[in-house]
Amino acid sequence: MTDIPRPAAAVGVTPTTFDRLFDEEYARVAAIARRVLGDPDAAEDVAQEVFLDLHRRFGDNPGAQAPAWARTAAAHTALNLIRTSRRRAVREKLYAAEPGAAHDPEAAVVTAETTLAVRSALARIPKGQATVLILRYSGLSYAEMASALGIGVNAVGTRLRRAEARLRKEIGDASV
Amino acid sequence: MHPSDGTLRRSLDEPIAVTGAERKHVASCARCAERIRRISADAGAVHAMLRSPNAGVDVAAARVRLARTEAASITGAPMHRSARIPRPGTGRANRLIAGLGLAAAASVVLVVSGGAEDFLSLFQPSQLAAVPVTASDVRSLAGLASYGSVTGGSSIIFEPEPNAADAGAAADLGTPVVGDLPAGTTAAPQYAVVSGGVVTFTFSKDLAEAAAARAGGQLPAMPGGLDGSTLSVLVAPAVVVSYGVDPASLLRGASLPSGQAFIVVETRTPTVTSTGVTVRQLEEYLLSVPGIPPAVASEIRALGDPTQAIPIPIPVDVASGSPVTVNGASGLLIGDSTGLGSAVIWQRNGVVYAIAGTLTSNEVLGIARSTR
Repeated sequence: MTDIPRPAAAVGVTPTTFDRLFDEEYARVAAIARRVLGDPDAAEDVAQEVFLDLHRRFGDNPGAQAPAWARTAAAHTALNLIRTSRRRAVREKLYAAEPGAAHDPEAAVVTAETTLAVRSALARIPKGQATVLILRYSGLSYAEMASALGIGVNAVGTRLRRAEARLRKEIGDASV
Repeated sequence: MHPSDGTLRRSLDEPIAVTGAERKHVASCARCAERIRRISADAGAVHAMLRSPNAGVDVAAARVRLARTEAASITGAPMHRSARIPRPGTGRANRLIAGLGLAAAASVVLVVSGGAEDFLSLFQPSQLAAVPVTASDVRSLAGLASYGSVTGGSSIIFEPEPNAADAGAAADLGTPVVGDLPAGTTAAPQYAVVSGGVVTFTFSKDLAEAAAARAGGQLPAMPGGLDGSTLSVLVAPAVVVSYGVDPASLLRGASLPSGQAFIVVETRTPTVTSTGVTVRQLEEYLLSVPGIPPAVASEIRALGDPTQAIPIPIPVDVASGSPVTVNGASGLLIGDSTGLGSAVIWQRNGVVYAIAGTLTSNEVLGIARSTR
């Protein structure tokens, strides 16, 4: 374990395994949620929720599976947000918050429509497929995804392939 | 032979994953070249779709925010947002079904370390054996924590799936299809996948000595390689098909509905691996440690000799088991002594099936024998 600077909240307190896990994984977990939601604030809400739940479930000394659990939970929680009854409100927020909208109105409309279509498609495809897409394009290796999803590395490739074909088909069908 | 789509997809990201033979084949196969082109085009398009701008994250501030939320939850102040990640429940009403999940988890294809070579050899048990346990819930080796460290085991994630095909694809299994539904079944099936996971126990001489000392005894002579040896149970993802009940509610600890309801569970036979010593050596040694609690000893005995039989722990306070045959495969019928329902579990070709619900023994057997 590397020597990571302790956050201000933990100064004077012996860092726990959970503290180290938080320092090492928080940015990655937030990035996974951001890839789904597009909005950094909403993504941090998800990251907070994930670590809150992780701490409740595993305590101060989560095991070796905790990073994989946190990453998968981030993808699931963010995907839930765009799939549940709150999706309309979230999507409207995402639509309004799309980066670059202020500079080139025409390009911004195209970008926003594409982004909305992608998230809408992510919400329609099977969640297992959406999860593997998000984890892969967030930089997880096949071994890490296999560990996070509880499947073999070969099954990861199969699921990822199906997911990519399905997402592309969904986007095509939506006539972006 | 043409590599699978999954192998070709992985080869784009991790070329080393492709074997020499596969690489040679792909280099000379026009059909595979076209498949790779199509797979690569889809991957490139999706990569562009899922681009995400980098954003700075203040980890220290985030830690402060989490600490405040946790403090607020302790003092009863409203939290930012409730946690919604599904978790397994422990309610009494789902004990039978939870027991089935447990049985699937405890059933094993044993992979025992082969001594000096540390090579894993595979055993395929052909029998199911009822193992009475008194603990109402098996705690994923948690009772062993006094003798070593236990990692993993709690990261179970429950995923509803829209249909049988998606559920099967998510678990990398064929989804079980029930042929004969019991009379009166009107509910449409719901599909879900429960994630797999690995629970690993690492034996610690120091912890075991401390536990023995607390019991006023000393550790018996230790076989070579025991200190630091590991025992891992790998549970594959499971497909759950449910009729008349939302399986997610069961995992949250809700009661079974009063009407007719049942679930069908399918998972690959879990595996147990060990390093340092064999599973049997580790079990026998743990049972000889002074002061080992009866409940923990039951859990250890529940593993039994998995080279011969898949152990199905049955909570004796609520159920009893008897051997049955399901289309030629040996199985175990579990009758619930509280009148809650029945369950049957069987194994075929490395896959474990289980059916449980508010049904009679004959009804669950009928469903089992019609399931393909």
